[in-house]
Amino acid sequence: MTRPVLEARDLRVAYGGNVALDIPHLAIAPGELVGVVGANGAGKSTLVNALLGWSRGAPRVSGSVRLDGEEIGGLPPHSRVRQGLTLVPEGGAVFMRLTVADNIAAASAPASSGRRGHDEEEVYALFPRLRERLHHAASALSGGERQMLAIARALRLGPRVLLLDEPSIGLAPRLVADVLRTVRGLVDENLSVLLVEQNVRAAIEVVDRLILLERGHILAQGPAAAMRDDPRILAAYLGEAVA
Amino acid sequence: MNLVQQLINGMVLGHAYALIAIGWTVLLGVARLVNFGHGQIYMLAAFVTWWAVAGLGLPYPAAILVAMLAGVLIGLIMQAAMLRLTFAQDLVSIMIVTLGFGHMMRGIAGLVFGGHPQVLETPLSWIDFEIAGAWVTAQDLAIILVAILFFALLHFVLERGALGRTARMVAEDPKLAQLAGIDVRRVYFAVFAFEGAAVALAASLVAPRTPILTSIGFEEVIVTFVVVVLGGIGSVAGSYVAGLGLGIFTALFGGFVSPAYATTAAFGVLIVVLVLRPSGLALGAGRGAR
Repeated sequence: MTRPVLEARDLRVAYGGNVALDIPHLAIAPGELVGVVGANGAGKSTLVNALLGWSRGAPRVSGSVRLDGEEIGGLPPHSRVRQGLTLVPEGGAVFMRLTVADNIAAASAPASSGRRGHDEEEVYALFPRLRERLHHAASALSGGERQMLAIARALRLGPRVLLLDEPSIGLAPRLVADVLRTVRGLVDENLSVLLVEQNVRAAIEVVDRLILLERGHILAQGPAAAMRDDPRILAAYLGEAVA
Repeated sequence: MNLVQQLINGMVLGHAYALIAIGWTVLLGVARLVNFGHGQIYMLAAFVTWWAVAGLGLPYPAAILVAMLAGVLIGLIMQAAMLRLTFAQDLVSIMIVTLGFGHMMRGIAGLVFGGHPQVLETPLSWIDFEIAGAWVTAQDLAIILVAILFFALLHFVLERGALGRTARMVAEDPKLAQLAGIDVRRVYFAVFAFEGAAVALAASLVAPRTPILTSIGFEEVIVTFVVVVLGGIGSVAGSYVAGLGLGIFTALFGGFVSPAYATTAAFGVLIVVLVLRPSGLALGAGRGAR
């Protein structure tokens, strides 16, 4: 197997005495799209946040995180972003008071990294709607547009691995398909993505591999095609009776 | 009473107020922080300027730089002590800690510089000009000039440059700014260093107008508070207008009504403005430093 671009070992997150996440091993190969699914509270967001060492609360995070073989587990979030691990948090977080143009311009890959992020033209080619809304404040955008802007910002940073936390939340079904198709397209261009998604039916159509989380633990994982027939996935998420 | 003289006094006072307040404006706008030790940094910087001129024999411009360096150092020490509180945006604790720092600075100033009032004499204080029967010193003109240049530069940097965009991102959401690769801790340190330097610059220019005592600083905090709130929290342009307006109002009220009640009247104006326009005078006030 090729060396994973992102690898975590013994990743644990605890709030006070409560362990919210306990992952012995997780790896993503270059150019792989891995989906993470699970019920509410399963630890999906906790997982992507912990990989980046980022949180709006104050959890205790331990374990090893390696990016391209280099240990980044002890680095603060902004340093991990500069190394090439980028997170689009739940809700398409963007700077509401900045215009679309400023949101885009404010994000760029560090010159010292040697990586090249999407330039502004590439971003607008990917999301033409953003070009039409260039001088609007992000607060004036729809949920879908904000999500596009958040992904566009992340791509500008030239990520090696993109962590996407529920990009489809609150979006109309047609937009969900659009966003996931765009993500698949980026992976086909060799970006590695860890996609947290509640919409399992939509996710399973685009991911290479699926991880099922329950109460902070990996319950099952495997290639998407195989997981499609996993009785736990069938019963809980695809609404089909298990024979 | 000469109206022109009062207007000139008001202009000088107003620019002094604006200059004293600008550090707090940026602090509040970018970092959503307060510093109730602001007035004591002003006091210490005034003493440092005096010491550099009278004690070390440095030329006045060099003494200003020494005072600004001292301001930067104080700002960095305060932020280093409060970093955890800053990240938690624990404003009540920050208020108490900065008040404590202020008292410590007053004590240290008493120990180092003694309890006697000192007078900072600068070459500019001896040069004066007559304008339409009113008098103004070169020191006063320097206050106006430096304040205008400083505000214009800051406005330009915050509006146009990448630095200003970074400041606005941190002001809006420091956690999200981390995801853009911004070292928020560094921004907080820079903002506190800027605050220290800015109030020290103001002290070096304004302190020659009055005797320097360890007890000065309280009035400066109050004035700063009024200017920052009137100007619309975090608004650089608003602070300039509010400082200037407050200075002219204070001078005219003091000249034509009663100097004893000028501060009382200023607070009356503050209350009226805040009742009528809670976000302050500036357009788009309270949306982060700009």
